[in-house]
Amino acid sequence: MLRMRAHALAAVTLAGMTAPALAQDAKGSLTVAFAAEGTVLDPAKYSAGVDHYFIGQMYEQLVRPGLNLEPTNWLAESWKVTDPETKPVLEVALRKGVTFHNGDPLTSEDFEFAYQRLRDPKVSRWSHLQANVERFEIVDDHTFRIHFKEPDGDYIAQWLQLWAVPKKYFERVGEEGFTKAPVGTGPWKYVSRSVKEELKLEAYDGYWNKQHRPKVKNLTIKIIPEDLTRVAAFKTGAVDWIDGVPPSMVEEFKTLPGVKTLSVVSGNNLYIDFPSYKPDSPFNKVKVRQAVAHAVDMDAIIKTVLFGQGERYAEVGKGATGYDPDLKPYPYDVRKARELLREAGYPSGFETPCYNLTTPREPNVKEMGEAVFAYLGAVGIRCRVQGLEYGAWINLGRRGRSGPPEMDGVLSWMWSQNLPGDPATPWGGHLHSFVAGKGWGSYSYTADEKADAMVEQLKSTMVPEKRVALIKEIARYKRDNVLGGWTTYRPVITLAWRDKVEFTPWAYPGYWRGFQEIGLKQ
Amino acid sequence: MAEGAFAQAQPAGPPVAQSRPRFGRVRRLFRNGLPIGPLLLFGMVVIAGLSGDGLAPHDPGALNLGAAFRPPAWLAGGSAAHLFGTDNLGRDIFSRVIVGANIALVVAAYAIVLSGTVGALVGMVAGFFGGAVDALVMRLVDIQMSIPSLALALVLAAVLNPGLSTVVIVITITYWTWYARIIRGEILSLKERDYVALARVAGVSTPVIFARHLLPNILNTLLVLATLQIGQVIIFEASLSFLGLGIQSPDVSWGLMLADARNYIQNAWWAITIPGVAIALTCLSANLIGDWLRDTIDPKRRQL
Amino acid sequence: MVGFVGKRVLHGLVSIVGASILIFVISRLSGDPIVLMLPVEAPPHVIEAMRRNLGLDLPLWRQYLIFAGHALTGDFGMSYRWQTPALDLVLDRLPATIELAVAGLVFSVCLAVPLGVLSAVHRGSWIDTVGKGFAMLGQAMPGFWVGLLLILVFSIRLNWLPAFGHGGISHLIMPAIALGWYPVAAQTRIVRSAMLDVLESDYIRMGRALGAPERVLVWKYAFRNAAVPLVTMLGVYFASMLGGAFVIEVIFAWPGLGRTVVEAVFSRDFPVVQAGVLFTSILFVTCNLLVDLSYGLIDPRIRRDG
Repeated sequence: MLRMRAHALAAVTLAGMTAPALAQDAKGSLTVAFAAEGTVLDPAKYSAGVDHYFIGQMYEQLVRPGLNLEPTNWLAESWKVTDPETKPVLEVALRKGVTFHNGDPLTSEDFEFAYQRLRDPKVSRWSHLQANVERFEIVDDHTFRIHFKEPDGDYIAQWLQLWAVPKKYFERVGEEGFTKAPVGTGPWKYVSRSVKEELKLEAYDGYWNKQHRPKVKNLTIKIIPEDLTRVAAFKTGAVDWIDGVPPSMVEEFKTLPGVKTLSVVSGNNLYIDFPSYKPDSPFNKVKVRQAVAHAVDMDAIIKTVLFGQGERYAEVGKGATGYDPDLKPYPYDVRKARELLREAGYPSGFETPCYNLTTPREPNVKEMGEAVFAYLGAVGIRCRVQGLEYGAWINLGRRGRSGPPEMDGVLSWMWSQNLPGDPATPWGGHLHSFVAGKGWGSYSYTADEKADAMVEQLKSTMVPEKRVALIKEIARYKRDNVLGGWTTYRPVITLAWRDKVEFTPWAYPGYWRGFQEIGLKQ
Repeated sequence: MAEGAFAQAQPAGPPVAQSRPRFGRVRRLFRNGLPIGPLLLFGMVVIAGLSGDGLAPHDPGALNLGAAFRPPAWLAGGSAAHLFGTDNLGRDIFSRVIVGANIALVVAAYAIVLSGTVGALVGMVAGFFGGAVDALVMRLVDIQMSIPSLALALVLAAVLNPGLSTVVIVITITYWTWYARIIRGEILSLKERDYVALARVAGVSTPVIFARHLLPNILNTLLVLATLQIGQVIIFEASLSFLGLGIQSPDVSWGLMLADARNYIQNAWWAITIPGVAIALTCLSANLIGDWLRDTIDPKRRQL
Repeated sequence: MVGFVGKRVLHGLVSIVGASILIFVISRLSGDPIVLMLPVEAPPHVIEAMRRNLGLDLPLWRQYLIFAGHALTGDFGMSYRWQTPALDLVLDRLPATIELAVAGLVFSVCLAVPLGVLSAVHRGSWIDTVGKGFAMLGQAMPGFWVGLLLILVFSIRLNWLPAFGHGGISHLIMPAIALGWYPVAAQTRIVRSAMLDVLESDYIRMGRALGAPERVLVWKYAFRNAAVPLVTMLGVYFASMLGGAFVIEVIFAWPGLGRTVVEAVFSRDFPVVQAGVLFTSILFVTCNLLVDLSYGLIDPRIRRDG
């Protein structure tokens, strides 16, 4: 993240975007490699973060984070929310002169179409995010309004949700045709795809943004899941850009001649949760939870287990909405942890089940969990560790299931909410208490009335400045009481590319893998 | 792994003509005595397995982040404290190999007894009674054998939640068909023997025929099958654990150790080599003992 | 003969239908795919809607009948994860798996034949012992570990062969060894004992007495006859290679069926698990059927039983 900042400051800001810039035609070819691939090429069918890796190249949203991670209008020229407290209306003015890869101009109709697909549970897996929308109103070709039943802060938090999809084209070719030949407004046009092998793209000559655009004509994204192969492909020159340099090799990569690296947060947020909602659980006592937060030397774990590929955070990560530089993580202090346990009435500690994720959703996440549990044992919180593969782990973590097993101990968990990240929706899931049937607290082991009230207030706050202030307030309360788990670290990924490549990292969409600006040095 | 499918496939082999007794040097060695090397080696594994934590110089689960990736004692940088070096979390590999022997043997023992018992019973019943019972059993065996054993095991492990008991159940389900088929074949031929036929004509009750005439005659075969299965089970367990649906950390399994070490193949070759050597030596000695048993007490079954 | 073939084909069909039921039922017991498909925040009514949408709310037997009905028309449903037809995903991967299985089989046979013949000819000598040791070693090592060691030595240390992936012959060498070494022991044993029998047969003795060169006798006459048992077993070995590919493909990032099914098991992607396992089963059953039929052709006595 620190490196990213330095880079971003040096880069051109987005201010003079509409100024006519030198739009050289893109030339040449470039091959890059990803560790994982998007499953779908249709933004309405988006299911998880990895889908961004492909969708983010070809499609665009109304708003996105700029090079300094600040919210930046993108396909929207401007937007505003009227009546934010009672019956909000979001009015968006679209940028003019934007065309799809097939030449069709972008209009309000396309966004209405995108909205209709996103709210259809048969198409989209995120239909619930449209639940508060009452109707979509087309004002003219370049203006539309979204009327809300009630305030919905999450809508703002997620970059206004909608992705531009060409209505006319889609209706002509149908769903299957669209999957085979997807069309968006983004800097890259679809050429071909072979699942688990590669995606071929071509720079779109008619791209609207003349300043931030690819300077290479052909891009091939290879999929190489095995770390060693991907590294070998990079070292032998078969590819010139890779993501996910294995943590144990990052140091080596930083010293390779003719190679640039960038280490940035991946977008995931890890934490250790415990059943504080249960009256009979030791974790019901705030001092026990604080003891946990003091007991683990997270910095040492990051350094050795994660080879430095992690960034500590307190509730809200650096750069994310509502980040508060004054809010610090609990320091490592074994004596303090023991003292807190004693004060809480556990002078000789206690035994507890500890659930660990064994599937490598993040590098070394299993080892990280084992290390955390070992540190807990050192202050007297003795773990009976149980490893869980991904499916069983998700199942254990969810609330409101019928039947055993019940999560009744320490759980290594995580949340992800795009980049640079906004904690509102995740907090609704794990800081707000579980309310059956309402969607609140669907993986929550916390029950705190004040936290509930604040999270609900955040959900209904749509004005960005107010949201930031509220997030800071919640974060402080959450940290002091160790509610919604103890936040540990955000995984860091390292990208590497050869000197001859000019690459400007854009965080989102694409989780640093969006090739908004990439080219070859002349 | 091919192990399961492969093992099951074996009995379907063609009728290879039996050879006359031969007295090659190797064979004579076997004839004249026990396979000393394999027995010693396997004995060591059993002792390590039975001792559990007892023989381990360190707590096999104890982390020591400051001592990660220490090479084995005989290499520069290694120390006598960690004979086989340490892994990425600074855990002592020697201790983990010893504790891994325990899991391997526990899994093998339970899985072999269970699958052997179930398979032998089903095979005896099917072979003896024939008819509809036999047809039903054989179709079940066919169905199961038409699914790659590892695919079946993976899905089953996902149903039952991975762990030690799941591994045992999965292996039992995978291997019972192997016993059932072979024992059924044995019974079919035993049934035709005069003394069995006579006993039946004389009205001896079925349980008595099973206990007095059939069971003693298949015990040799069962013993050979069980010994030959040890290596297969250990490899099968390692494969499942390696894929993440077998033994779960913090339990220690050789296959799991290999899965963990895989990410550091460049940093610490010993972490990926030593647990594999443990598997290979254990299986090799078990297989050699099995071969010797087969050749000695049941020379007809050379094709197993 | 027609009756024999018909019966065997019928048994094969029963096996495939049974296998499809078995996999269908247990994969559906293995966990709720919806939980993995939807974001954790999804409210219950959305989860229920998705469940209805996919027909997962119906009783298991009805789900199976629907599945079987569609499967007969070549429709195996949409992959939950990839949101494309499961059949396409499986058929795209099948050739790579068959390629790997053939390579593994070629490797094992190419080792087992000379080993078996030499150890029979030089029975009891050091060649016999070394050959047996080599074959036994392959049987004692997990294929995935052999694969990792090969990668360690030939890719990382020596940089001779590509560590992973699918491509030319160089990509095939290590996976083929990792897959093919295991059955060498059993194959060697088959060749060896068949060779021993043939070498002691009257016509070879006759040839020897007539002064035919030993090499010609061994390779031209004896081996031809001794090869029959191994050849008839090739189908069975090929099937076992398909099963073994499940782990080897994961190690070598081989874009085959095995790796696809393993991933699908982890993500509870039922349509892909079902289609993937069913196609492997069909291959299995076909191979075994061919083996059975070939016995039937060679040895008419076998037709009577079974």
